[in-house]
Amino acid sequence: MKNENIEMVGQGVGFERIRRITGYLVGTLDRFNDAKRAEVNDRVKHGLDSGMERL
Amino acid sequence: MITQIVKRDGRTVPFELDKITEAIYKAAKALGGSDRRMAEDLAKQVVAYLEEKNLQTPTVEQIQDAVERTLIENGHARTAKEFILYRSGRTRVREMNTRLMKIYEDLTFRDAKDNDIKRENANIDGDTAMGTMLKYGSEGAKQFDEMFILKPVHSKAHADGDIHIHDLDFYTLTTTCCQIDLTKLFTDGFSTGHGFLREPNSIQSYSALACIAIQSNQNDQHGGQSVPSFDYDMAKGVAKSYRTLYRNNMIKALEFEGIEDADSLIRSTLEKVEAETGLWPALNADNGFHAKEAELLIPVIGEEAYKKAYDFSRKFTDKEIDRHTYQAMEALVHNLNTMHSRAGAQIPFSSLNYGTDTSPEGRMVTRNLLLATEAGLGNGETAIFPIHIFKVKEGVNYNPEDPNYDLFKLACKVSAERLFPNFSFLDAPYNLQYYKPGHPETEAAYMGCRTRVVANNFDPSRSVVTGRGNLSFTSINLPRLAIKSNHNVDFFFEQLEREVELVIDQLNERFKLQAGKKVRNYPFLMGQGIWIDSDKLSPDDTVGEVLKHGTLTVGFIGLAECLTALVGKHHGESAASQNLGLDIVGCMRKRLDEESRRTGLNYTLIATPAEGLSGRFVRLDKKKYGVIEGVTDKDYYTNSFHIPVRFPISAYEKIRLEAPYHALTNAGHISYIELDGDPVKNLDAFESVVRYMKECGIGYGSINHPVDRDPVCGYTGIIDDVCPRCGRREGEAVSVEKLKKLGVYKHLNASTLGCCGNADEEADRIPNTL
Repeated sequence: MKNENIEMVGQGVGFERIRRITGYLVGTLDRFNDAKRAEVNDRVKHGLDSGMERL
Repeated sequence: MITQIVKRDGRTVPFELDKITEAIYKAAKALGGSDRRMAEDLAKQVVAYLEEKNLQTPTVEQIQDAVERTLIENGHARTAKEFILYRSGRTRVREMNTRLMKIYEDLTFRDAKDNDIKRENANIDGDTAMGTMLKYGSEGAKQFDEMFILKPVHSKAHADGDIHIHDLDFYTLTTTCCQIDLTKLFTDGFSTGHGFLREPNSIQSYSALACIAIQSNQNDQHGGQSVPSFDYDMAKGVAKSYRTLYRNNMIKALEFEGIEDADSLIRSTLEKVEAETGLWPALNADNGFHAKEAELLIPVIGEEAYKKAYDFSRKFTDKEIDRHTYQAMEALVHNLNTMHSRAGAQIPFSSLNYGTDTSPEGRMVTRNLLLATEAGLGNGETAIFPIHIFKVKEGVNYNPEDPNYDLFKLACKVSAERLFPNFSFLDAPYNLQYYKPGHPETEAAYMGCRTRVVANNFDPSRSVVTGRGNLSFTSINLPRLAIKSNHNVDFFFEQLEREVELVIDQLNERFKLQAGKKVRNYPFLMGQGIWIDSDKLSPDDTVGEVLKHGTLTVGFIGLAECLTALVGKHHGESAASQNLGLDIVGCMRKRLDEESRRTGLNYTLIATPAEGLSGRFVRLDKKKYGVIEGVTDKDYYTNSFHIPVRFPISAYEKIRLEAPYHALTNAGHISYIELDGDPVKNLDAFESVVRYMKECGIGYGSINHPVDRDPVCGYTGIIDDVCPRCGRREGEAVSVEKLKKLGVYKHLNASTLGCCGNADEEADRIPNTL
């Protein structure tokens, strides 16, 4: 802490990252098994502008 | 002269010739032999051989080698084979005992972050006492089932990774899942253990009991719990609440007007109308109730007083009913995210299907459930349960002129913010064939991650979703079959057919065990009549006949890797591969349809969800066949028929390619689209993806996008490295002063860190391009 007079919060608190795994939402990547963690890391986004017909 | 031998554990014990004789005799006997004298002679030869080799104190292994050798040399090849099988069986038992103890050691002394088994299921906290106890039980049961319950051929196929028997730990205990008919359950009340729960009379009680039903049933089954028509089920609760609220408001209004005995006057009037016409005060004011009410009340209290009281009651009741319904849905979402089952280790896996009830009460349920989900949990967190499935149907909610179109729009918005609801499509031909308007039990529903049960070959007149579910499922390792086929497609199909036969046999074996269970083994599922026709059984009846309404299911994993191994390209890369993929999945489905016709049971095909399995098969295959590019070069096999997650493809192309597999996988399927950026900023694009799914014949789909949250300032949205609201990095502290300036600081309490979202700030977010 830089200055003892400044009140700080949040030290050590991480961000929550909600992801879907086999259909279920999970609030933290920590609970994913090794294989699913690898799969989540590999996921690429699907673009919407591929010249395909839009409805 | 041999007098001693060395046992496996290193101890030296006296040598006994009889033990060798006995082992040989047992092997011979297994083949129908009964010549004990010959066994003795052979045993003596074994000893002679050992002495000749100068092994004065042989080990058990050396003796067994000598037995095999002696048997073969004397022309007893088949007995030798039997002996080898016995020997390898014993070795496996020994190894498993050691392996189990090693697993127990890891469960005991290692944290979940270092122990993959503790993270096999992401919704179980493996670090808690009950979570670990659950794993002890589960791992022990799996090994017991592998050693003593499964047919050796099934056990071997499972252990080797040719197939995967899901929920093996529950093999002898229960079935997978069930679609719960809450309307039926609530009618005349039910019981969950001690005491009786009367039929509920308000929407709050309806939603509370819905949670209790889901929790109770979760303890009787190993899969998820689904409510197929949640809006229809809850609508009656809204109607009952409306009746009570209207009555109370009328009494208040008349008392305020100074009318004596308003309480008994209104109560008796409502009872009279209901007795004569069956009508209640309802959200739909034109239902005829008020005409009848006015007829009875005006002569007593006069037209003016009645008109005044009526206007007052309508106005306040309409407002209150909405509030009550919202609170009931909010409580439900909170409950389903916090209540526990399975000795406290796990939140029940709950799924709610809704969106098609067009009654004012049903619409109110759907709208408020969506709004409560949009609001999030206590600190604005995204709820992870229940899984919401919005049923999309033309004429009901798909087009602007449809009565529930507003709810479809709202569902898209909430999904863009909170990842739920997912969308199911009742117009897909394979779903539409069961659909009967006005009969929600014929609307295809999805459970948990993707399971689907509608068709009923056991009793086609009851092709309904309610009271039915999957009994068990087993998945086939498609990539391995392809690797073994060495690019020979014909050979691949031969093997695939054999594998399906093997799995059908295994499912039948499991069904025999399940069928022998009794009603009292499932106090809620069967004891309270949740499962179809179980209400006709007594506690000591077996459940085999009623279970025949359930499904026996074959699944598969890694179609993409399978195609790559077979022909060099997966179905996202080549049209020929796509056709081959459809042939492969179609071949499995065809065989299961035949089996259904032949037996009168329900054999179905699922696109396996595969959480624990995604890594297991590829690990085994890598060990066996090495790293093969595009096949075993990752730590996971691609889910079911999905296009590989790292393959670049547009959302529309992915939907178009995956849709035909939905038609083939009648036991369940799902397609995912990963959207970049914040879809809330482009709801039209979000909706266009959902609509494209419907037009392509997808049965069940879901759109993924990043939903992050900073618990310190409460920001929900996309967070890369730095929180866009408070500017802190992961793990960094931020000054209270800054939070106060942002207007998001509430209280300094480490355990309740977090504040409500700031609507102004969130409106200022820069839209990410789609």
